[in-house]
Amino acid sequence: MQDAGRTAALRSGIPPAGPADPAAFAAACALVGLDRQAAAIEVVGLPFSFSCDDLRIVAVTGRDVRVRSRTRLPSWTAVVVRPGDEVQVEGSARTRYAYVAISGGIALPPVLGSRATYLPARIGPWPAALATGDALPLSDGRAPTERAGVRLEPPNYAAPVRAVPGPHADRFSADALDALFALPFTVSPESDRMGTRLAGRRIEALAGELLTCGIVAGAIQVPRGGEPIVLLADHQTTGGYPIAATVLSTDLGLVAQRAPGESLQLVRVTAAGGGR
Amino acid sequence: MTVRAFGDRAFLIELEQRRDPALVARSRAVADAWEARGLGPAVPAYASAVVRFDPERTPYADALRAAEAISAESLALPDAAPGALIEVPARYDGPDLAETAVRSGLEVGELVALHSASTYTAWFLGFMPGFAYLGPVDPRIVAPRRAAPRSRVPAGAIAIADGQTAIYPADSPGGWQLIGSTDLRLFDPARDPAARIRAGDRIRFVPR
Repeated sequence: MQDAGRTAALRSGIPPAGPADPAAFAAACALVGLDRQAAAIEVVGLPFSFSCDDLRIVAVTGRDVRVRSRTRLPSWTAVVVRPGDEVQVEGSARTRYAYVAISGGIALPPVLGSRATYLPARIGPWPAALATGDALPLSDGRAPTERAGVRLEPPNYAAPVRAVPGPHADRFSADALDALFALPFTVSPESDRMGTRLAGRRIEALAGELLTCGIVAGAIQVPRGGEPIVLLADHQTTGGYPIAATVLSTDLGLVAQRAPGESLQLVRVTAAGGGR
Repeated sequence: MTVRAFGDRAFLIELEQRRDPALVARSRAVADAWEARGLGPAVPAYASAVVRFDPERTPYADALRAAEAISAESLALPDAAPGALIEVPARYDGPDLAETAVRSGLEVGELVALHSASTYTAWFLGFMPGFAYLGPVDPRIVAPRRAAPRSRVPAGAIAIADGQTAIYPADSPGGWQLIGSTDLRLFDPARDPAARIRAGDRIRFVPR
C-alpha cells in the first residue's frame, strides 16, 4: 500500500516511501476521484488479481500494464468493476511497478502521518506486502460511475530523463558532469525502491570530504567507484556521497520503471520549475 | 551560506562545509524556520538543511525566495531549545572495543570512562529510522570507519566513528566500530514519535 509518502517523520530518519512511480500513482488516484492523501496499491511482481465486494470504479496504471476482468479492460482508464468480479492485472517483462486505485480509497488509519508502507522497517498501517487472501477495507461512498471511460495518457517510459545539475555539481569537473549527460547508462539488476543503479560508465567526483546532508528522491548520487545511483521513494533521509544532479519529480517514474539492461539517457535541464 | 538547487521540489541550504556543534544547531534552526513558514518539511544535518516544497502549492520562484530569505537571516535565528536528557544503560562489550582501545593508546577501562563521561548532543537523525548522530566524542578515542562494513550490526549496538557515537536502532549493515550494547529501544513505529531520540536531545551512556 502506498500514498503520496510520509514526509512528517523525515527528521526521525524515516524514508518517505510512497510510490516508486509517483506520476502513475497520481494518475490512477485521479482517475477514480481520490484526493492527494489517498492510498492505493503498488504492485511489484505481476500478475495480481483482486475483487471488490461492492461496485467500484477502478484504474490500473504503470508501464505496459494490461487489465482483464470478464473482458479485456483498458489500462490508464477509469473502469466500472461489479461486485465480486475478479480483475487481473498483467504486464510485460519491462513492468516493474503497477498501480491499482479503487474509488473510495483504502480505509486504514495513517501511521506517522501516512498510509505508505515502508517494508524494511515495517512502517505503515499495512506494514507488509499483500499476500493471497488478504482483504483491505475500503471507504464507503457512491462509486463515481460518471467517470467510467475517462482516460489519461501514459508517459513514454523509454524517454530520456531530465535532471537539474546540483546540489553538488561543483564537486565534479566540467568533463565529468558532461559525461553524465553524454551517453546512455544501462540499468543494473540491483535496482529497487531505494534506487536505480546506473552501470556502464563511471563518473568521478573531485577529491575532498563532503558532509552528510539531507536528500530527496531523484538525487543522482555518485559513490566512490563512480557508478551513479538515482535515489527513489525508499531512499535514506540523509547521505554522504556527492549528488551530481537531480531528476525532475515528473520523470521519477521513467527511472523507477526502467528494467534491468535497458538504457537510460539523462538530459540536462537548466532551470528547475521553469521549463515545464 | 549558499542555496543550492536540488531538483524541482527542494533546495539545499548549506551553511559551511565544516563539522561544528554551533553549525549543527543553526542547521536545525534553519529547518525549523522553513517548516514554520508552512511550505513543507525540512531535514537538517551537520551544516545544512534540505527544504522541500510542493510546486503545485508554492511556485519554484517563491520557494527559492523563501529559502534565500531564511539563508540570509540564519545567523540571527534563535537557537533551538535544548532537548531532553536521555540516559542510555550501556554494556561495554562490543567486538571492536579492545581494538579501539589499542588504536587510541588507552586501557579498555579508560576508553569506557571517556565514552561514558561525556554528555552528547543528538546532532540529527538519518541513515535509518531512529539513527541519531551523537557527538562530540572525546578526541582521545581514535575510531575511523571500518574499511569493510559489517553486513549485519545488531539492534542496540553502541558504535563510534569519526568523532561521533550512535546506537543502531535496528539490525542493519554498518561500518562503525562497535564498542557496546544497550537494551533501550530506540525505534518503535507503533509510537509517535517513533524515534526515542530527537535532534537536540542530550544523551549520557551509563555503564552497567
